[in-house]
Amino acid sequence: MAMTIDVEHLGGSPAVSVVALDGELDASNYEKVIDIVRDAYTRGSRRLVLDLSKLSFMASSGLFALHSALRIMRGETPPDPEAGWGALHEMGHDHEGTAANVRLAAPQEAIARVLDRTGMAGLFPVDADRASAIAALQGS
Amino acid sequence: MTQQASTPRRLTVDNDANRLADVRAFIRDSVADLGGSKRAADDLVQAVDEATCNVMVHGYGGVPGEIEIEAARLGNAIQIRLLDRSKPFDPTAAAARADTSRPPTPKRPGGMGVGIELLRTMTDEVRHHVRPDGGNELTLVRSIDGPAEEG
Repeated sequence: MAMTIDVEHLGGSPAVSVVALDGELDASNYEKVIDIVRDAYTRGSRRLVLDLSKLSFMASSGLFALHSALRIMRGETPPDPEAGWGALHEMGHDHEGTAANVRLAAPQEAIARVLDRTGMAGLFPVDADRASAIAALQGS
Repeated sequence: MTQQASTPRRLTVDNDANRLADVRAFIRDSVADLGGSKRAADDLVQAVDEATCNVMVHGYGGVPGEIEIEAARLGNAIQIRLLDRSKPFDPTAAAARADTSRPPTPKRPGGMGVGIELLRTMTDEVRHHVRPDGGNELTLVRSIDGPAEEG
């Protein structure tokens, strides 16, 4: 099953983009997500909603893409895929308790479990739906 | 007493990340047919995707090769075996992480830590052997129902 990506740039100040993932996020397509987030940043977006409501699977490469999205939205260089998990660790410590610029909307149960088991859940506020996530970012 | 595994279902894929979707579909269908719960299927799909991806990236690298995947019922568990001809590569050798409530700590360059961790937490047992005639055999075992790990 392939993955389709739908992007919506909402503008605002700070500008918010919504990236909706539909299908399965794995080693074959995670770089597309990173490219799209980078493009959103280039267009001026500084806040991001990742709508996961139609995503049925996420591999560890997908977790890496999520982490890269967080860094891109902060204006930082995303980590090298071949040396990334060390940077991920720093991320958790550096930014704990600070306002998040990337929110996850409506992850399915299996994906929520993966986020939880890897400790990644602590990096991303999770909202029940896309509208709530957008509202939370536009209010920040 | 050693339990006898059922006749395994098999899928062979090339070293190509675009085949991972087929691997996941094969595991999901096989676990269901072998009497596993949806939760068991979710966990094994995650674990086998990570294991297969590891063989592709760290075992074969850019070199062409095949990965054979077998799924069988073994008592009250599902047993998955991954067979390849890549260089010896033991994902079970990575040390366990004590505190999984925090984001992952680095294991070594290669970006493998998180995938290995998922492999381990989503299954009850992971065994690795170097095949006598070259390549690796990785065996994953998970009970047919219930969480592999509470919490």
